[in-house]
Amino acid sequence: MRRAVRALTLPLWALATLAMPLALWAAFLLAPEERVMGAAQKIFYFHVPAALVTYAAVAVLLAASIGYLWTRDRRWDNLSRSATEVGLLFCTLVLVTGPIWARPAWGTWWTWEARLTTTLLLWLLLLGCLMVRGYADDRDLGARLASIVGIVAALDIPIIHKAVVWWRGQHPVVFAPDKSESLAPGMAAALAVCTAAFFVLFALLLLLRYRVAALDERLHAAAEAARGREEIR
Amino acid sequence: MIPVGFARAAWIVAAKDLRLEWRTWETLSSTLVFSLTVVVVFQFAFGLGTVRELGAARLVPGVIWTVVAFAAVVGMLRSLQLERARDTLGALFLCPVDRGAVYVGKAFANLVKLSLLQALLLPLTAVLFGHVLLPILVPLGLVCLVHGIGLTELGTLFAAVTTRLGRGEALLAVLLFPAASPLLISAVKCTAAALAGEPLATVSRWMLLSAGLDALYLLVGLATFEFVLEE
Repeated sequence: MRRAVRALTLPLWALATLAMPLALWAAFLLAPEERVMGAAQKIFYFHVPAALVTYAAVAVLLAASIGYLWTRDRRWDNLSRSATEVGLLFCTLVLVTGPIWARPAWGTWWTWEARLTTTLLLWLLLLGCLMVRGYADDRDLGARLASIVGIVAALDIPIIHKAVVWWRGQHPVVFAPDKSESLAPGMAAALAVCTAAFFVLFALLLLLRYRVAALDERLHAAAEAARGREEIR
Repeated sequence: MIPVGFARAAWIVAAKDLRLEWRTWETLSSTLVFSLTVVVVFQFAFGLGTVRELGAARLVPGVIWTVVAFAAVVGMLRSLQLERARDTLGALFLCPVDRGAVYVGKAFANLVKLSLLQALLLPLTAVLFGHVLLPILVPLGLVCLVHGIGLTELGTLFAAVTTRLGRGEALLAVLLFPAASPLLISAVKCTAAALAGEPLATVSRWMLLSAGLDALYLLVGLATFEFVLEE
């Protein structure tokens, strides 16, 4: 397992190094300029992929949290810890890029619209998971409690979204299935490239964070063992 | 020792908590005074003009549920922190009964306490904000019960998490409010409908959503509570 993780790092790193400039090229040169919003619309190619990656991170968090409570294998906990942190990072990106776009497009930094509200609540939930882990003095306790909060957060997100949609709506609907007007071909291609690049970046960051968590655990075990030997002497 | 069933075990835990409350009135008195203070703060925050302009039906639902949410945080955390202070969390975990029963008992006692608080709070807001209460008592009571159930289910689970971490109300609020947001939105919508004198059928999808959330939170709590208690 450890060897597989290590073997994957370098290829992913290389892929991400290639993919990110490609994403920039696709967003700024491949995609045509939007007629009404102009250059401000370019942020869409980073905002949407970041949002998709955030949801993927939450799915990983849910699976890893259940996996940990089920098996008590620390590797699951390392994975859910990594998914929480990387998910929080991308969620922050969504929350930062959104208002930058909303200011020229809607004339306001923030509105309490459905998807914005859901994203903000998701950000708070992920932060809650990290806080729970951070406050625990004992690693196992932190892992158990954070898994519980993680499961509740992940299950809650679709319901929160449904509730805030009923509450109000205004976000541009991009992936509406029955819409006659759709993205221009250049734009769709740019979005696809950027999404792929962001997923490669997500995989790389998750892998690196996982490796740090695994190293951290080995360090703890080594320190524990050293202390044990000291006491015997 | 005679093994006890799930319902019996849950009832014993709930009865213990309620007996403690009956003898001290500690949680109810403190949360009630706290609620009264918050209602007064709201009056000052809005000012008389705003209250008169917006009318009770627009203002009171938000006031009620803000007060209930914060009072619930204070009350539910208290019920778990008492166990920690007396080192009885471990004893509850060692009980030869289903840990889900301990959770249900705790949540039920919290629900009773929260419902009592709501029963005292509603006439209070009726007096202070000048809205009618008697004609809408049944729908309003139903709204309070359905949303109170979900709030205590999730709140009891997270209060246990917060207690195990040795933390206070701030962490519980951070965990509970985002997670309970669909419930709180629904509670405000349904309370507003009830206060406006509309039948609950107009907000049936919110009521159904909340009933669904009550079921979901119960399942999550039953499934995960033992991991919180575990040493």
